[in-house]
Amino acid sequence: MKKRFPLKVSISGVRGIIGESLTPQIAARFASAFGTYLGPGQVLVGQDTRPSGTMLKKAVLSGLLATGCQPVEVGVLPIPTILFLTREKQVRGAVVITASHNPPEWNGLKFIGPEGLYLRRSQVEEFLDIFHQGEFTFVAAERIKAPLQEKKAGELHLEKILSRLKVKAIRRRGFRVVADCANGAGATLLPQLLRELGCETLLINTDLSGSFAHQSEPVPENLKELSRRVKEFRADLGLAQDADADRLALVDERGRPLGEDLTLILAVAHVLGKKRGPVAVNLSASMAIDELAARYRVPVIRTRIGEINVVEAILEQGAVIGGEGNGGVIWPEIHPCRDSLTAAGLMLEMLAENQKPLSETAAEFKKYHLLKDKMDCPAELAFRALVELRRRYQSENISTLDGIKISWPDSWVHIRPSNTEPIIRLLAESRSPVRSRRLIENFKKEIKSIIRKLA
Amino acid sequence: MKLLKLNISGVRGIVGQTITPELVIDFASAFGTMLPAGKVLAGRDSRKSGLMVQEAAVSALLSTGHEVVNLGICPTPIIQFLVKQHRAAGAIAITAGHNPAEWNALNFINSQGTYLNEFQGSELLDIYHLGHFAHQKLKKSPAVVNELNAEEVYFSWLSRRLRTEEISRARFKVVVDPCNGAGAGLVNKFFQSLGCELVAVNNEPSGYFPHEPEPRPRNAGEVSSLVRATGASVGFLLNSDVSRVSLVAETGETLSEEYTLPVVAGYYLEQQPGPVITSLSTSRMIEEVAARSRVPVIRTRVGQSALVQTMLQEDGALAGEGSGGLALRRFQPAFDGFAVMGLVLEAMAVKQKKLSELVKALPRYHIVKDKIVCPPHRLHSLVAETRKLYPRAEINLLDGLHVTLKEAWVHIRASSTEPLIRIIAESPSATRAQLEVDRVVAFLNRLLG
Repeated sequence: MKKRFPLKVSISGVRGIIGESLTPQIAARFASAFGTYLGPGQVLVGQDTRPSGTMLKKAVLSGLLATGCQPVEVGVLPIPTILFLTREKQVRGAVVITASHNPPEWNGLKFIGPEGLYLRRSQVEEFLDIFHQGEFTFVAAERIKAPLQEKKAGELHLEKILSRLKVKAIRRRGFRVVADCANGAGATLLPQLLRELGCETLLINTDLSGSFAHQSEPVPENLKELSRRVKEFRADLGLAQDADADRLALVDERGRPLGEDLTLILAVAHVLGKKRGPVAVNLSASMAIDELAARYRVPVIRTRIGEINVVEAILEQGAVIGGEGNGGVIWPEIHPCRDSLTAAGLMLEMLAENQKPLSETAAEFKKYHLLKDKMDCPAELAFRALVELRRRYQSENISTLDGIKISWPDSWVHIRPSNTEPIIRLLAESRSPVRSRRLIENFKKEIKSIIRKLA
Repeated sequence: MKLLKLNISGVRGIVGQTITPELVIDFASAFGTMLPAGKVLAGRDSRKSGLMVQEAAVSALLSTGHEVVNLGICPTPIIQFLVKQHRAAGAIAITAGHNPAEWNALNFINSQGTYLNEFQGSELLDIYHLGHFAHQKLKKSPAVVNELNAEEVYFSWLSRRLRTEEISRARFKVVVDPCNGAGAGLVNKFFQSLGCELVAVNNEPSGYFPHEPEPRPRNAGEVSSLVRATGASVGFLLNSDVSRVSLVAETGETLSEEYTLPVVAGYYLEQQPGPVITSLSTSRMIEEVAARSRVPVIRTRVGQSALVQTMLQEDGALAGEGSGGLALRRFQPAFDGFAVMGLVLEAMAVKQKKLSELVKALPRYHIVKDKIVCPPHRLHSLVAETRKLYPRAEINLLDGLHVTLKEAWVHIRASSTEPLIRIIAESPSATRAQLEVDRVVAFLNRLLG
């Protein structure tokens, strides 16, 4: 079979493999389409630490310059910082050269609109129309501007976070923290944030030369070094960012990874304690969130998977906190986006107020066991299998907002075909790991039999 | 109509119409695919579009795995000089030379520091047309190194090749107009090193062109009045990348750009005899100059690439043409405006003559140049048609149509940089030259309807 070169164009931008599918030509076309879409004005350009970042950045700069935009290069910065700055500096938009947690041979472009948010679905459609039509509004030579460089853009973000935290209370505790920046953009700001919060820190994987010490998803199997260091350093906690620094996972003082879904639960608990209001999370976030919200008598809004969906719900419903079960905490007080720096600040504030070790606080919420799995299935069959599941479980409490989610009083399962790969993702949560595993296995079996009949 | 011109050593067009990021990336990717591994230099003239073009070109070169030395705003002859200094695999000079500000171009330079030769040029185009580029996986990023004051080493090399002491002793006062191009600012250092007093106009590399960046009398008004007002010994006009020079005499007389070649050659051939390479369109003045030094004149196609390649093949002493661009073997195989200005001063100093006196020693010809805008797809067929005008004359078809008549010659050719037919005629009689041009223009206009 002829080798296929993967180039994925989706709501969150474009990703591909360098040297195969993501070429400077494609990057320049996307940037030209984006410049055409935004119109002339300032556009931030940031990047993560991948070795292909400079190559792609230059292609992006040429596309923006040709369409009359004035690029403002902010260098390597966390994604949440770039989102924040886009609104704060009132620029037209931003382009970030990053492939989040994809392997190092990948890279990609993410597009940020004038509100400092990822493009919304309708905006993405308009933008992609321009891209596909291929008619870009290149300006005449004399209207081409010179790019600007901004070296200290990250400080504004830190200032905002610090202004919303009880800094004195945190400083008083003098926490010992080990931070694993996953060789990602988080390393540019997390150490400074921790210093400002009076922590004694041990930093690992802060080298930004573009090689990754471990896979960047902050899931327990990637956090072995962090766990060990937490114990050696006798730290109060360990923090693990992903390469974009939008997600955060925790390791407790005994060196045990708490699972990335717990970060959101703790953040919701802490913020609701400070200020009551609606909570917005996606369908896959833990039911511990519903319990918490019930305790504070506030509503939970459940959204489709995808950061922008949660962000839109937060803005529309005036939620005080929200996020995703993958460690993505959104505290709109700072900026409506997933932000590991904000999340780290909230966690330290929580520990400072609780006066309890992290393991004890975590134990209160660690009643549920969330398991994730996936199975191969061609996209077309996946869709038909879902229709059949929906028919079979129509009398249960189901949601078809995104795939199908079936909920029982103390458990649920969420089945969703992937947007980007020919697989079905399954998530299940219950009070016991055995039960969660059984839920997943049963549904896998059921889907397989449905597929067999369909095929 | 969208203008895009490919010639053997580059691609040229109007920014935003044909010079787009993607086109630049495609060409630079083709160039990177063609080159062996190694460093590639990238520099540009001062046009505002230059940075857009450069970012696109550098992105492509990085993608093909080449380390890039960014020279920033840099005259093309300095880029060409630095290729050998750096032992680079090649270079891209981003400049549209004498074209107006809305134009830009990629000029591809090989590891010898010369414009691509015919074979390299056609290989580049083949790769471009095929569209399969050697994009690398970039497990490690190739470096982009900024080298923004690269001219020092060039100027010190250049001053070692000129008779600097004699020039200094003459205490020339010089007027120069770099047209706010890549030479702006650098001329200060250059003339300082030659001990000249400098009066410079349009000397900021802002990319704002106060007049067309084409060195010729039409654009020389400012220089001419400054030469008169300051009593300067000479005035120089530069194009946007310092590859062409035209002269203004101490009298304030603006000399046709045709004079640069014979003035320089008249002196230089005495020091460095050897064949002179020039184009079919260039004035016959050079024939007499060469005869004085008993060296042959070899005529070839128009343009730096053809001239310099012929100079290298034929072991020529210099190659130059009527546009004011000259490559001198003793210096480097590149049109080098700094070397030309240095040699003009050296000729004046060594021979102890004023520029007007050097000019007076040249035979007096009248050259008339005209051009007709023509759709690109008819350029060459119309040029071929003009042959009918000269059923019995001596014909040369090396580059368009060159006709040698009694007491005159006519050259009709498609421009390699714009959709134009250029008509040039020369004769000892001004009326005769004009007559020959008018005849061709009328004929072509009839054909064009």
